[in-house]
Amino acid sequence: MYDVAIIGGGVVGCAIARELSRYHLRTVLLERFAEVGFGTTKTNSGIIHAGQQTTPGTLKGLLEVRGNAMFDQLQRELGFGFRRCGELVVASTAEEMASLERMKADGEAKGVPGLEMWGAQRLRREEPNLSLHLVGALFAPSAGVINPYEFAFALAECAVQNGVELRVEHEVQSIALRDGGGFRIHAKIPSGPGAVPSGPGAVPSGPGAVPSGPGAVQAVPDAASATCVDVEARFIINAAGVHADKVAAMVGADDFTIRPRRGEEYLLDRRLEGIVTRLIFPVPTPASKGILIIPTFDGTLMVGPTAHDQDDRFNVPTTTEGSEEVFATVRRLCPSLDARATIAEFAGLRAVSDTGDFIIGPSRVPGFFHVAGIQSPGLTASPAIAVHVVELVGRAGLPLVEHDGFNPHVAPPARFATQPHEVRQALVEADPRFGRLVCRCELVTEAEVHQAVDHGARTLDGVKFRTRAGMGRCQGGFCTTRVMQILSRRLGVPFHEVTKRGAGSWLVIPMAEDREAAMTEAGATTGDPAAGATEEAPCSDA
Amino acid sequence: MFGRMNRRYDVVVVGGGPAGLAAALGALDSGVSRVLVVEREPEPGGILRQCIHAGFGLHHFREELTGPEYAERFVTQAMDRDIDVAPHSYVTGLAVDSSGHRLVRVLSSRGGLATVECRSVVLAMGCRERTRGAVRIPGTRPAGIFTAGLAQKLLNLDGYLPGRRAVILGSGDIGLIMARRLTLEGCKVEGVFELMPYSNGLTRNVVQCLDDYGIPLHLSTTVTRIHGRDRIEAVTVAPVDEAGRPDAARAWDVPCDTLLLSIGLIPENELSESLGIALDVVTGGPKVDSTLATSLPGVFACGNVLHVHDLVDFVTEEALRAGRFAGEHARQIRRPRDAIALVPGANVRYCLPHTLSADRPHTVYMRAKTRMSPCILRVGNLLERKLRFVVPAEMIHLTIQPELLERFYEDRLQIDLLPVDGGGAP
Amino acid sequence: MTERQEQHYVCISCPIGCPLRLVHEGDQIIEIEGQECNRGAKYARQEFTDPRRTFSTTVPITGAVYGRLPVKLSAPVPRQAIPAAMAAIRLLCAEAPVRLGQVLLRDVAGVAGVDVVACRTMDRVMIAPS
Repeated sequence: MYDVAIIGGGVVGCAIARELSRYHLRTVLLERFAEVGFGTTKTNSGIIHAGQQTTPGTLKGLLEVRGNAMFDQLQRELGFGFRRCGELVVASTAEEMASLERMKADGEAKGVPGLEMWGAQRLRREEPNLSLHLVGALFAPSAGVINPYEFAFALAECAVQNGVELRVEHEVQSIALRDGGGFRIHAKIPSGPGAVPSGPGAVPSGPGAVPSGPGAVQAVPDAASATCVDVEARFIINAAGVHADKVAAMVGADDFTIRPRRGEEYLLDRRLEGIVTRLIFPVPTPASKGILIIPTFDGTLMVGPTAHDQDDRFNVPTTTEGSEEVFATVRRLCPSLDARATIAEFAGLRAVSDTGDFIIGPSRVPGFFHVAGIQSPGLTASPAIAVHVVELVGRAGLPLVEHDGFNPHVAPPARFATQPHEVRQALVEADPRFGRLVCRCELVTEAEVHQAVDHGARTLDGVKFRTRAGMGRCQGGFCTTRVMQILSRRLGVPFHEVTKRGAGSWLVIPMAEDREAAMTEAGATTGDPAAGATEEAPCSDA
Repeated sequence: MFGRMNRRYDVVVVGGGPAGLAAALGALDSGVSRVLVVEREPEPGGILRQCIHAGFGLHHFREELTGPEYAERFVTQAMDRDIDVAPHSYVTGLAVDSSGHRLVRVLSSRGGLATVECRSVVLAMGCRERTRGAVRIPGTRPAGIFTAGLAQKLLNLDGYLPGRRAVILGSGDIGLIMARRLTLEGCKVEGVFELMPYSNGLTRNVVQCLDDYGIPLHLSTTVTRIHGRDRIEAVTVAPVDEAGRPDAARAWDVPCDTLLLSIGLIPENELSESLGIALDVVTGGPKVDSTLATSLPGVFACGNVLHVHDLVDFVTEEALRAGRFAGEHARQIRRPRDAIALVPGANVRYCLPHTLSADRPHTVYMRAKTRMSPCILRVGNLLERKLRFVVPAEMIHLTIQPELLERFYEDRLQIDLLPVDGGGAP
Repeated sequence: MTERQEQHYVCISCPIGCPLRLVHEGDQIIEIEGQECNRGAKYARQEFTDPRRTFSTTVPITGAVYGRLPVKLSAPVPRQAIPAAMAAIRLLCAEAPVRLGQVLLRDVAGVAGVDVVACRTMDRVMIAPS
């Protein structure tokens, strides 16, 4: 039996896993997708908020400011992309300037450092491409941009390296209370082709290859051909994001409901790099922080997100209306941004709870803890949430004995593209795989793809979000087959079993299959597959 | 020699596709002897290696060849004439040393990050495909959305089908050819959808790729939504009005497991941009003078990196010229500076090169903005020619003789495509 | 007396794609017009009497830099013979080295004189490409 099972490998679940890995505990992290961070985290705007925008007196507000302050150390330890570029909340009227003054006072009361009011002249000088109609801004220097998926990957990798067991493609179906305490979690795992070998340190899932960890896992065949496993744990931390209310209901701890709120983001071509250098926010409304201009860590601009409630927790489409809304809004802030510069669009779901605040703490079922309703500023708050939750679980009886061997560091990936000539030369000399180009748009080499696999990538998207291969202008036109070949070799699966992001997201069908079918057919109809004078004898192995 | 890369060359060609190979041969023709082609793939030949259909070479060889056959003729010539080809190699940058030599940075696993010295460089990187982002199709982001070229590569080089039931957006030649190819391989093509009221491909391809196989072509129709969580499950398509706006009331869903995008090509000028070479906003390629020299001295451009061609024969012609001028430049032969700006006029989207000189014949390439049938091609007051029709999909080429230019004393020569009285745009 | 009728074709002999009009009375061709060159007339006549097409495809190849070898028909086959020709080609398999123009299958789908030929040279590679 595990001490703790965390349900949900988003950035919050991963941060909790790493926090728990500081102690002598047996922890398992269960994730429904093929890799961690593939849900809301992957589609996050990637902002580390300064904290002045959140209502004072809320749990959100408290953990946001606390979380923000933790990122410098986390970045040093985990090596993800993070830069404190600062943010500007811009005003276009005198009334908005007045509300920025109030926001500044609120922020200072919460301890947000370095807040400054900027007049039109200062704003023009610092961000000359913003609209001439803007009258001023509130500047928050401690805000930053981050690659949220890199943060989640690094947190999970660090947790695994310190003993946490990561199980991907484990979709929790039901949870039973165990006689004698604790829980039995019933999870569905994929079987057959397309099943992805699990993350770092984990063993491939699927029938006949079920991990035999300390949790007394049993494989049981399910009605619908998929295989199920049971995972037992004393404590459960429910970090299931948009599904957190469903998971809570499995133990009768349905104290809240989650309503997903969809946000659409539009990523713009690199030629717009530098048009703005800080995060640009409009003055927020009660529903959201509004539609922003985000100079991402990697240099490209991103605009969004929209905010629209929806019931579907799986389908996350972008829409024509969303695109129109985003560009109409951001063009009022920065007129030179143009929808035609879009290179990719995507949407994600915020896990909005009916309480309006984060829901963190014990539920009415002893041993079952909620970490739910973690919408904005959840990413910023995530490391503080993790510390807070672990403290609460400790108070509820989980013995927190620190272990000396905890290693807070993971090796950051070697980014060939961002290195100067001499460093590149040294990299190629040390490892010739740095000399083989995989992605031309983002200049990603074969060595980096191998490294991504070493660090847990199992899918095309996993490689993409770790290396940037496929994120550039051609959107995978050049690198897709190259990455698939490497994944095929490294995972020991045929080329056609490599997926975009796990079971169901198959990419290609081998023609050999069709040929075999043709041979059977030809054999059946003519009885002579070699009809005609062949110079090459037909063979059966394609 | 295949696989050989020395430290010093007269001309270095970036890219070993049809443009790069012809440029290398053109350079040899001009009298230089040391030419290197840098190719990122395992072998030269470029995109032609996956264009297994016939239709290449009618102008250049006066016979119809498949893409691989056309490529092999040039690869064989290049090998016979001792051109060096560095495979699996990629140019990451270019610098100039104090003596005016160009220093080309070449990345490869065998040579590491090498610096190759040369006098001239020919850019022949080709083009890339426009993606979903460029046309902003809303919806989910499942697996199963491929650019037509990627699907062609998977099918023709690697031997994998992109799916079993496909929708193709865009009726450019690659889209049409892939419709037939997929059908022959047992993938059901539900239809080809084209935003414009006409096909962007050659008419012959509509006939022999769609009509012959009963594949419907839906003109003035586009994909407005992508459905499916893990793998694409359907697309919504809708007719568009004259401004290209979809009519949601007449939309319908087409179930499919694959969406192929054949929505245009863009010259691949990341390297050119990083070198500060001036680009033409219309073609997306470098601005070039009549020797196909870019704004960076000693750097030439040809083929699809300069502007997207529809026939490889014209790529070859252009690249042979670029290679010859690059070779001349390497031999320190200088040409008089161009004195005439060539500018696009009525119904001309672009024309190339950007400038002309009066001392020699010039091949001019241009594209029409809209279909016109019949039509008059007018070059300033120098030349008028009647054309049966012009369409945006087919490049127009024209030779201007020096005798005409000798009498031209202005600095600006405009090209117009004008309606014939009683004819004109439909 | 057979009625005079006309057929419309688009010539596919080259990329120009001339729109052709063929006038006939029964099997008797009266007139062909619209062609820019004499290949157009030839095409219309062929299309009227015995429409033929050619195509390219690939066959699996072992020991080469890629897994597929492009092949084509040496001459067009009757349009209705295309599925049979594809079915026959599907049974082929090549082994590197292969030379450009090498015949892989003679008289494909029983059409005399039409062969399946390799469209490129593929050398034998000893090590799998990286």
